[in-house]
Parts: sequence; C-alpha cells; structure tokens
Amino acid sequence: MEKHFLADMTEGTPTFKSEPWYNPYGDCITYKMADEAVVADRVDEWLTVYNSAVDNRPIGFQMKGVHAIITKFGVDGLAVSWKSNAQGVKSISVATLLLAAYEQGPRTMSRRKAYAGAMCPSDKTIPADDLQAA
Amino acid sequence: MADDFACETIDPGDPTGAKAKAIFPGDYTTRLFKYSPVDYWNLIAAKHVLEHTERIFFGVRELNEGGWCYTGRPIEWYIKEGVVASFPDNMVFAVYLNPNMRVYECRAEYVADDDPHCPNDWQTRYRGLTWKSTS
Repeated sequence: MEKHFLADMTEGTPTFKSEPWYNPYGDCITYKMADEAVVADRVDEWLTVYNSAVDNRPIGFQMKGVHAIITKFGVDGLAVSWKSNAQGVKSISVATLLLAAYEQGPRTMSRRKAYAGAMCPSDKTIPADDLQAA
Repeated sequence: MADDFACETIDPGDPTGAKAKAIFPGDYTTRLFKYSPVDYWNLIAAKHVLEHTERIFFGVRELNEGGWCYTGRPIEWYIKEGVVASFPDNMVFAVYLNPNMRVYECRAEYVADDDPHCPNDWQTRYRGLTWKSTS
C-alpha cells in the first residue's frame, strides 16, 4: 500500500462507522453501510444513491440541499421527528428529511423506489446544531 | 484534527492562467480517516484527478449556488479495505468542490455515452462544461 499524502497529518486507528453525518462543505448528509468504494447513481437534485463498487448493491446515499429543505419546511416543520435530550439538544430524523426531499419532485416509480431504499436504513438522527453549512 | 491540505489544480475561473488551490478540509479528511477508511484512501485518486483533470463542470447543484466538478481517471483505486483495483474503463472519478474550492465529495460515476471523460447525464445535471483537456 502506497504512502498516503495525508499520512503525516493523521493519527489513530481507523474504524468504519455506519452513521449518517452532515458535511458542511457540501451541505449534504452522507450515509454508508459498508466500507467500500461507491459508484454514484444520481436520482435527482436531492438524492444520490451509492452502489458498491465491489458488487453493485446499494450501500448508502447522499442527500443534498439540506439547508434548502430546512429553509422550506422550517425546523418547526420537522419537529415531529425531533428528539430532545436533557440539555435541550435537538436532533432531526434523516428519514424525515428524505421524505421532505421526496415531496419536492415528481412522484415517479423510480424516485419512489430510490427514496424507499434510502429510507430503510435511515432510522437515524443528526444533531440539529451540526447542520451548519460552511 | 488534521490541517487543511492544499493541492494545485486548474483555476476554473481562469483555466489558462495560474493554478488555483483546491483544499481538502482537515475536518473532512479526518472524518474519512477515522470512520470511512476506503474513502480516505481514495483521496489519493481525488488528488490525482485534481492534478490530471480531464473535464471541469460548473453549477453542480440545483439548490446551492456555484460549485465545481472535476473529473479524471486514476489508474487505480481502493474498492474495499486493503484491496486495490484498476479503475474501470466505464467510469470516471468525480471530485466535487464548493464555491470556496473546498473538496466535499469524491466518487466514481458511470461515463456518458458521448464522452468517456464525462459522468452520465452531464448535459442536464450541471449548468455547463467549463474546461476540457486537449490531450
């Protein structure tokens, strides 16, 4: 294995984590279920499905335009899926964001299938405070 | 957290002028290193594409202003932990940058029918082609 150009800037032991996370540089939520390279299958301007480069099975997705969705629906509009802990930190369900994105486009069979596939493993939440675009 | 890493690439605003700096944000690369090792290793392919770019597209998002997509073809990439494979002929490697030239996404896409250096549906998903290699 060749030396990584960032090798001198990183330390620790990598451990794959199957968890959605908000990428502020792309204003997108990324979720991968397997530590494999992905081939993108763009569904629409909100959703891209990740297929495995190993065997082409779906292993995740990228949801784009997160702030546009939140701006349109408002955080209160997503309140049904909020969770709040004792410190008042709120989380937003990824599945609810996906559902909101689905409602923005045409109700075609291909979109319905793609969004359903993305929502199945998306019973996850992201802290609302993390959703700050860079 | 790692520092940002800059690499020189074609300036999408002035492709024939001086090189621009594309930034791999430290928090982004740290996240990949810790939790998504294969994506971390494929940053090597991303750097290769930024340094040996075949196409640059602008307007990569409908809902976010600006942004760029650089495409190219690495010789190899990591498909799973510890497994290196030749990069497939029917794919291009795409590196997405935001308007501040920060890298935020690196992945393979199937090639378009009309141009083996473009991702499929490039005519409709991007606002346009900024630059193409002549070699």
